[in-house]
Amino acid sequence: MLSADFVIATAVGYVGLLFVLAYLGDRRARTNAKSFLHSPAVYTLSISVYCTSWTFYGAVGNAARSGLEFLTIYLGPTLVFVGWWFLLRRLVRISHNQRITSVADLLSSRFGKSNRLAVLITCIAVIGIAPYIALQLKAVTSSIQAVAGASAFGRGSLTGIDDVGLAFGVAAGMALFTILFGTRHVDAKEQHHGVVAAIAFEAVVKLTALVAVGVFVVFVGGGFENIFSAAAQAGVTVDAEETFGARWLTTLGLSVAAIVCLPRQFQVTVVENSDENHLRVASWAFPAYMLLMSLFILPIAVFGLTTMPAGSNPDMFALTLPMSFGQDALALFAFIGGFSSATSMIILESIALSIMVSNHIVMPLILRLSPAGRGDGQGVTSLLLMARRFSIVLILSLGFFYFFFTRDSNALAPIGLISFTAIAQFFPSVIAALFWREASLKAATAAIAAGFVFWVWCSFLPSFESVSPQVAMLLDRGPWGISWLRPEAMFGLDNLDPLAHAAFWSILVNVLTLTIGSLLTGQSALERVQASVFVDVFKRGQISRGNFVRGSATANDLFFVAERVLGERRAAALFETEARDSGVDPDMLEPSPEFIGRLERELAGSIGAASAHVMLSKVLSGSDVSLEEMMQMADETQQVIEYSQQLEKTSAELRSTAQQLEDANAQLRELDSQKDEFLSQVSHEVRTPMTSIRSFSEILLDADDIDEGQRQHFVGTIHQESLRLTKLLDEILDLSALERGERTWDNVPVDAEAALGRALTVCEALLRQRGVTVQQGERAPAAVVEGDADRLCQVFINLISNAVKYNDSEAPVMRISSSVKAGKFVVDIADNGPGIAKGERKLIFEKFARGQRGAADQSGAGLGLAISRQIVTRMNGSLDLVQGPLPGACFRVRLAVLK
Amino acid sequence: MDRRKLIGGMLLLTVFGAMLLLPPLVYVFNQPITHFGIPQIVFYLFAVWLLLITGMALLTRALPPDANGSGPGEGER
Repeated sequence: MLSADFVIATAVGYVGLLFVLAYLGDRRARTNAKSFLHSPAVYTLSISVYCTSWTFYGAVGNAARSGLEFLTIYLGPTLVFVGWWFLLRRLVRISHNQRITSVADLLSSRFGKSNRLAVLITCIAVIGIAPYIALQLKAVTSSIQAVAGASAFGRGSLTGIDDVGLAFGVAAGMALFTILFGTRHVDAKEQHHGVVAAIAFEAVVKLTALVAVGVFVVFVGGGFENIFSAAAQAGVTVDAEETFGARWLTTLGLSVAAIVCLPRQFQVTVVENSDENHLRVASWAFPAYMLLMSLFILPIAVFGLTTMPAGSNPDMFALTLPMSFGQDALALFAFIGGFSSATSMIILESIALSIMVSNHIVMPLILRLSPAGRGDGQGVTSLLLMARRFSIVLILSLGFFYFFFTRDSNALAPIGLISFTAIAQFFPSVIAALFWREASLKAATAAIAAGFVFWVWCSFLPSFESVSPQVAMLLDRGPWGISWLRPEAMFGLDNLDPLAHAAFWSILVNVLTLTIGSLLTGQSALERVQASVFVDVFKRGQISRGNFVRGSATANDLFFVAERVLGERRAAALFETEARDSGVDPDMLEPSPEFIGRLERELAGSIGAASAHVMLSKVLSGSDVSLEEMMQMADETQQVIEYSQQLEKTSAELRSTAQQLEDANAQLRELDSQKDEFLSQVSHEVRTPMTSIRSFSEILLDADDIDEGQRQHFVGTIHQESLRLTKLLDEILDLSALERGERTWDNVPVDAEAALGRALTVCEALLRQRGVTVQQGERAPAAVVEGDADRLCQVFINLISNAVKYNDSEAPVMRISSSVKAGKFVVDIADNGPGIAKGERKLIFEKFARGQRGAADQSGAGLGLAISRQIVTRMNGSLDLVQGPLPGACFRVRLAVLK
Repeated sequence: MDRRKLIGGMLLLTVFGAMLLLPPLVYVFNQPITHFGIPQIVFYLFAVWLLLITGMALLTRALPPDANGSGPGEGER
């Protein structure tokens, strides 16, 4: 049996392991930019922080209570990731370009770097997430209680500690852990590689644990079929009749909004993203992760309902089922899995929220209270860290208080959905920020505020029903007895599910305020600039112009500011790079508008866009952008110029493409004409012998009075011509086979010198007949090359017979020499014939090319050299025309000698 | 395949995937029938889910990667 103390000790040990992982991950990611920590797999796993203890415990409970509804929480995000190209890609690109650090930063940056909006969003997020944190605390507390309650060793050190005390302990531990974890330093991009590594590890742990429990349940239950039929006999059924109603739509919609807008999801998906292409993998891998996670939830729920005693908490089935079967190890693993899912959520959520609080609330306050020029080095950085630690404590306290007040409500999942509804209030503005140019700051602020008010009234307040009689009465009768203001039946809409009711009214009011408000109000100049930067992110690429035009401030002033926020080293590096790029001495640096813009984005990475803007504005006091300058930037003329430049670029690209196409076409035409030429040459070559065969055979057919001698002569001619035809056709076939790359032989080691000798022997009769003097040059010893002896011999015979045939000299001479030089076997066959005219030298290796002098000699088709060259090439050698020792032509064959 | 067509495929997969999960299409498969003791609708929902995952995996594999993720835009659509 597990004891409570042992389980708690395991949990503490596990947290220690996570800490070590985070520490190592941080070091690794810093020293090695190509580390696996920057891989799409780790990215996908870190997104899986979406699956919290709500999934691990709550989904089972939800499935037990309301059937398939739990699936919507995962189907919504699946749709968002399947549609990554249209929303997430845009979000990530914009956030990279603008150094966005949170969802509050995103909206504030888009709507004219308004800090007021950022503050509103931060406050809503902190309040809205409190139930969600409470859910995790409740899950961890319940799981420890479930173990302790079943323990034979009693409650150990938990004796006398109730749920609240336990939850307080968990919250305090988590706060400490998160502070140690996430606030060790301030990163310019707010990326926490170490934390992400730990989160990815936890993602694997929780998935393995839930799957292990699932497999165990399926095994014990005797397969899926048995579990479901046993359940049916016990009267437990998966009720799907009412599933696809208003709640289905609502939870699906809320989960779509949540996966984008939840602070921790925004943090892992957008801010921690190091490469946009990682989204490609996450687009299917994250849905696949969620599918695996949900696969066993229904069997666990159904089996738990069937076998566990009535009144057991279905939220804890994943833990209590293994325990009831005495599987302590599995139960411990399940506990660690649930603990993993809770810790990863709490760590990341409070880091993300603390960044928002420190960047949007604490920083602006400090800026407002402190004089601009105060340069106290590391001051801001340490202040920022302090602010973050403080906000982490605040966030976990809020979660704890929510838990304290609502501890009597049973189920986990409904608590989470309250948070989802709050966070969903950001979604319409996020979509408008990305796609709708006209959306204005005033409208977005009003929309989010109005949606939040409705959420508080319809969703947040009713969750206290069980602890407060006043709230219960309010729900029943409405404020001051005004029944159409009842929180769960606004305007008399009382037959709707409370969740669907709250979501419907808050989102409706939100969207209406946003759209109508944007149409009625105008935008400031900065808003207009930012709107086009956001909406046109893919049209004009990265827009790097600064929002400050005049720079009356000196580099020194700016350096003070940068040093305060970024730390001395980074600030110095930034200024040195700029000085180097503009080619001036660092002391003489004149801050250009572009540089100030870059500096602002750099600062925005640490303290948020609005704060950075305020900060720099103060330094450049008096030189903040004038309205005219701003208008000029957003001027339509400017846009037209940029567009026309873009167009020019595109048309230049088109021109070059067209040129390439034309070239390719010319090549094709050339090839085509060559083919035609080849065909006409072939038919010409075939035609001549055919004509004589036909005419002679016609004479033989028609005339009876031919004497025997003549008949013999005619038949002889026909025979000779058909032999020539056959030879021609053989050669054409041979050549085309060679040209197609077919080889009718295998390259094996052969003695090339011997092949040359054999060729000379074959040609001896011909040489003697023509009276050719053969000069023997130096001869190589036996030389082994890769090739085919017969084919090589064919090449030599061809070259020798050419040297004979085209030689019209009075005293024909042929000179043969061979040698091995530098690993090559070289054969020269030269003659004292007329040689080859300069203009023909290139052509002689072409098909049907014959030397002019040889034209009269009809015995060859002019394919010999072409074939020979092909053969030698296939033996990895070369056949060329070279300057020879004799006045005529000299052909050189070169083949590599085998060692 | 053509880049535009692949992106069109992604849009279709997203929109049609959403339609498959919403009334009224989901009613078509929500019959009181069980296979192997498990309600048909469970099979249907997981099948749609699997279809979305595999469809997206195939589409992203076919789509050529952006040259530079955070660099200048490539002029979309």
